[in-house]
Amino acid sequence: MSKNSKDLSWMARITRWFGVTCEDTTPLISELMDHNLPLGKRLRLKFHLGMCGVCRIYEKQLEIIRALARKLGEDDAPTQKDAGLSEQVKARIKTALGDQN
Amino acid sequence: MAELLNSDLWVEQYGDMLYRYTLVRVKDPDDAEEIVQVTLLAALQAKDSFQGRSTEKSWLFGILKHKILDHFRDLKKHRTYELASEDGPDPLENAYLHNGQWANAPKNWDTDPHKAAENSQLVEALSMCLDKLSEKFRNIFVLKEIEGLASEEICKEMEIQPTNLWVILHRARNQLRKCLETSHWNTRK
Ligand SMILES: [Zn+2]
Repeated sequence: MSKNSKDLSWMARITRWFGVTCEDTTPLISELMDHNLPLGKRLRLKFHLGMCGVCRIYEKQLEIIRALARKLGEDDAPTQKDAGLSEQVKARIKTALGDQN
Repeated sequence: MAELLNSDLWVEQYGDMLYRYTLVRVKDPDDAEEIVQVTLLAALQAKDSFQGRSTEKSWLFGILKHKILDHFRDLKKHRTYELASEDGPDPLENAYLHNGQWANAPKNWDTDPHKAAENSQLVEALSMCLDKLSEKFRNIFVLKEIEGLASEEICKEMEIQPTNLWVILHRARNQLRKCLETSHWNTRK
């Protein structure tokens, strides 16, 4: 077996990459967002994305989710604008800080 | 006496801000209140070390970030980050045809990351969807995408295998995708 696979020309290997499906690709898209992929996987991913518009949409969706999450994490995110400490809790914290002093 | 006044001011001036910031990361309001209190107490103790190199606000947020991480470390003591049935199935489980192509193709959301981030309705939709994740998925996603920790750091802090981390992140993203698609894009025309 090792002899056979060694005999595969690089053309044959590239042809194999043609066979990479959407199902194989989606986890790689997510994985590449978290860490670098080995060259082989990265090339297969690029290759598939080059021909598959649907997976490109999926990739963009994940990028949008990442952008939304970063925005949500900012100091004054446009969410929970009304959320705040109740007067009761504020008083409790002030007391705790006062005891500390 | 002057110090007392100062820390009272912190509560008034920064309390809500710190609380909101915490609530994004830590879902439970009681936990979030506690973290704000612990933060301000720590700030009071470290007051002398504040030398005006940064603004008072960013100094407090710096302490808060540490306390939030401490909170996640504490949680780890009580729970495992292995996958469990409560985390729900992978939303992509039945998303493909037998030949590996999409059965239900992802919809074009008709926006880009930059534009989306400026859309406060969308940011709020994500916040809502985030609260629907299991606690484990939410925590890991928050550490990675909101706190911006490196994968290695999360694995070390949460004592999980890199493959496990990656599976959790992948599933969390897919659950968020699905939730956003139904809550936001489905309701428009
Ligand atoms: Zn595809």
